[in-house]
This record gives sequence, structure tokens and C-alpha cells, in this order.
Amino acid sequence: MDRLLRARLEATLGDRLTGPVRQRHDQTEIRVSPADLIEVMRSLHDDPSLGFEILADLAGVDTGSHMQVVYHLWSAQTPDWLRVIADGVPRDDPRVPSLTGLWPGVEWMEREAYDMFGIIFEGNRDLRRIYMPPDYTSFPLRKDFHLPDDAARSAGGGVRHVEQGHMPAQATPSVARRTVRA
Amino acid sequence: MTAPAAPHQHPSADDPRVMLDDEIGHFEPVPPYPPRTEREAEFYTLGDGEMFLNMGPQHPSTHGVLRVVLKISGERVVDLDPVLGYLHRGVEKLCENADYHQVISQVDPLEYVSSLFCEWSPVMAFEHLLDVEVPRRAEYIRVLTGELNRIASHALFMGWMALDLGGLTPILYSFIERDEICEMLASVTGQRMLFNYFRIGGVNGDINHEFMSRLGDWMSRAAEQHDANTQLLNENEIFVRRMRDIGRLDSATALRMAVTGPNLRATGIPFDIRRAHPYSVYPEIEFDVPTRGHGPEGGDALDRYLLRVEEVKQSLRIIDQCLHNMPDGPVMAKLPRLLRPRPGRAWAGIEGPRGLYGTYAISDGTDQPFRMKIHDPSFVHLQLVGMLMRDNLIADTMAVMASLDPIMGGVDK
Repeated sequence: MDRLLRARLEATLGDRLTGPVRQRHDQTEIRVSPADLIEVMRSLHDDPSLGFEILADLAGVDTGSHMQVVYHLWSAQTPDWLRVIADGVPRDDPRVPSLTGLWPGVEWMEREAYDMFGIIFEGNRDLRRIYMPPDYTSFPLRKDFHLPDDAARSAGGGVRHVEQGHMPAQATPSVARRTVRA
Repeated sequence: MTAPAAPHQHPSADDPRVMLDDEIGHFEPVPPYPPRTEREAEFYTLGDGEMFLNMGPQHPSTHGVLRVVLKISGERVVDLDPVLGYLHRGVEKLCENADYHQVISQVDPLEYVSSLFCEWSPVMAFEHLLDVEVPRRAEYIRVLTGELNRIASHALFMGWMALDLGGLTPILYSFIERDEICEMLASVTGQRMLFNYFRIGGVNGDINHEFMSRLGDWMSRAAEQHDANTQLLNENEIFVRRMRDIGRLDSATALRMAVTGPNLRATGIPFDIRRAHPYSVYPEIEFDVPTRGHGPEGGDALDRYLLRVEEVKQSLRIIDQCLHNMPDGPVMAKLPRLLRPRPGRAWAGIEGPRGLYGTYAISDGTDQPFRMKIHDPSFVHLQLVGMLMRDNLIADTMAVMASLDPIMGGVDK
């Protein structure tokens, strides 16, 4: 945990943070709104005291109630990984600005998140499906997409059958059974 | 004389006419639907004197099942469009429906030539979620087996590299080394390739006598053998001249393309997660981070090859230190059989033979991960092919692609 990084982030980003800076193990986590994402990433990348030059990962997340896009960054200025969560993206029309202007290499990662979650990255000029066939219409990693043998959809919602006891049996498809406060 | 099959009946697979009439064998390079994006429209519009050429998905040099549509003018590649998904299994979805222990066997086949690294990052992320302390002996065993796996992976890379350029001999020698390491790891993990060896909180079993005797045997000749094998290529004029000056990548572009691992170090940036963000027992181990391609124009395919040659030597140093410093003790932390981490989020990144392997895991308090994102370096590096191939010859596509060392199992997840 790098306490100084926390102070620097709070000083630089100020009220663009939508939640407190959280730290655990070797990770520091900040939350921003999708509208501020490009500005925040630009200052994280360009500010010499932050210097987050390496984009490690982009992950789409469906929490069951809304969507998130999660970025992991690395900088030589801090021993921590930085996690930036673009939070509160609505599930029915998920739109997030694309970071291809800052890191062109993010293009395929955004295509993957689009393919799996249907998140639309505005500004990505090649946002088409990358894994699934072009005539495919679902978004497989969304929480309302259930596998036929999906334990989360079975009685007990994610609890193993050996211990499910008397959990309610019916699960309606198209409803996310598991939600998380992430 | 037989009556023709009714139109609603599916033709029998035994019917010899099926193969002849089968439309699947034919391939139309231009997709049969309107372009979905600006870039797709641009790519599938031919300029003057240009044509499309399909490569794959069963082309031997695409390292798995990859299809590349090349737009060529004469013998020069103007642009290319990789088509992925032939190996897509939906590992992340499968992991969300498996419990924490089952995840380890799900992620194994991602990069099937370096499975231990695919296991390592999820296991580390789950250990963060559970706040588990891994015993030191287990960490040393992880580093030891991991570095062996790195050497096996790089050995395969060198063989494939030469094979893609038309040289058959190096892969035969590479496979001698690789096979010996596979057998060695099989004696401790029980599997030759998909090891399923790391566990949350340690490793599946302690190293045994057979492993140690094989390892001692191999270590006594490994460095010499490695030099002999690489001399086959390093002093081969055809190989060197074909690799030099193709696929040049400079450091600024590499950073913007989110490149990691040997491909980034071959542009002159000494970014190695074992040093940049130390994990496991790497801080206690001495090794160098080799870099190449320090000039403003960066490194070429030959630099990426030579960098991996250097890395094997460093891995041998690490193995040697592991054997000397390995402490006694348990190899597993004490954990309940059913794991239910508190709700939370964790990320773990490690340095694999191809670059950053990362896992972002979210726990919702049940025994299955709520979301598990696997970051695979091959996926990111394959993007570079389109950029590096512009204005090169078709024959160099394989050289550039092989020098980036993507494994399609990891690209397609």
C-alpha cells in the first residue's frame, strides 16, 4: 500500500473521483464516472509524478445492476497497481468513451468487452465482434446470459448442490440471479 | 440406382457427394454482410492493383487456429485483418460457473506451452482475495517449476521461429530440451503439458526424487546444450538476414500498444514484472533483465529472438539459486476445502514467457468467482502484426508473427 500515491491521486484528480480511494494489498483503486474517463486517464498518463504509462488490462464487468469498465495501470513512480473503475454504466445502454486515442493497443481489449458485454466504446473505429461470429446477437458474459448447466441459475443461485438445502427453485432467465456490490 | 434424397433431409455423411458439394470448403474473403465499422469498410475496399489473400485458419504457421485476411499489392502486404475466435471456449464464463479450485484446471489450456503461468496469476489473485500467506517452500517450488516452464516455452519459440522460416533442424533440437523439461515436470505434477499443479495457498505436491535426479542431470548440460542449439540459428546467415530489419518496433509505440514482456524489452525498455512489481520470492533472487534494440528505431524480429535466447540463460541462473536456497517446510497453507472469500476485488499480474499474465477477480462471497477477467499477452501482441506487416513481403508475415510469439489458445480464450 502506497499512502503517498493516495495523497497524490486525491490532489491531482480532486472532485473527479466519485468515491474514496481504496487500498488493499498491492492495489490502489479509484472510481470515476465514464464522462471524466479520458481526462482522468490523460492526467494519470501525462502527469510526471504519476506516470502511469503501462496499461495492463481492460475488463468489462456486469455487476447485475449496472456495468463497469475496469482498467489496471502500472507506473514506475509507485509500487502499487492502480485500478481505475469507470462506474455506473447503465445496463440497457452501456456507453463509455474509448481510450484508443491514448493507448491504441486498447482497441482489441475494447472489442472484447463489446463482444462479451455489449459495452459501446465511443470513438473506437473498429468496434465489431472479435470472438463470436458476426451474426451472433447475445452478449455471453452478461449476468442474464445463463449456460444450460449453469449452477448460478439452478436452485440456490451459485451455492453448490451439496449444501443448497431448501433454496427457492425457480430462476427466470433474463434476470441476473447473482449481483454484487463491486 | 437410388432415388435422390428428399430436399428436407440432411445429406448423409457417408455420401461421397457431400464433400464435393460442401460449401464450407470454399472461402470468400469479403464478408457476405455490409461492413460493421469504418475500419472494416476501409479494409474490404480494394484499391488499384490490390487483391485479397486468405491465410488460415489451418495454415501451419499461424501457431494455432488463426485466420488472417491479407490485402496485397503484388507480393507486398498493404494491410491485414486477423479473424479470431476459432479457439474461443468462453473460459471466463466457465470460470464464473466453477468453484475456486476448479478454475485452475479451466485456465490451464489457455497457453498450452506455458500452462504454469496461466495458473499462477489466478491463484495469486485468489490468495489476495482470501488473505492467504503461501509457505516459502511452495513459493520456491513455484519459481523453480515456472522458470523450467519458461525455458520449455522459449525452446519451442526458437524451434518454431526457424520452422516458419523454412529451417527444419532447430525444432528437432528444441524438442529434445522441451521434452526433457516436460517429462521432468510430469514427474512432479503428473501431467506433461496441462499441469494443474498450483493450488490456492501452495502447490499440489512436494518435489520428488525423480524430479530432482532428472533436473540435476539436465542442469549439468543445459547451458552447453542451449548454446549449441542457438548456434544453429545465430550463425546461420539465411536466418539472420531474413530476420534483420523486419517488424521494427520502437519503444514509444510499444508502450502505446500496451505491449509487455520480451517484445517490450526488445525495444529497450527494461520492464519485467519480476523486477518492476516483485511477487513471490523473486526479490531474493539475483538475475538480470536483458534488453535489446536501444536505438531510436527500436528492435526488429532478430532482437526479439536474441532477447529470448538471453532470457533462457537468466532462467537457468534462477533455477540454480532456487535449488541452493530452497527452505524446508510445508507446501500448502492450511485452508478450508470450500473457499468463500469475503466480497472484494483483487488483481494479480505476473511475468510469463510472453509478457504480463493478469487476473482480475471479483468475489461476491459465494464459492464461485463472480467475475474473472484473464489478461493474456498474446492477445495484445497479435494486434501488432497488422501494424508491423505494412509494406513487407507475404513470406515475412510468418517471421513477424512468429517473432511476437503469440499462442492462439491464449488469444482466443
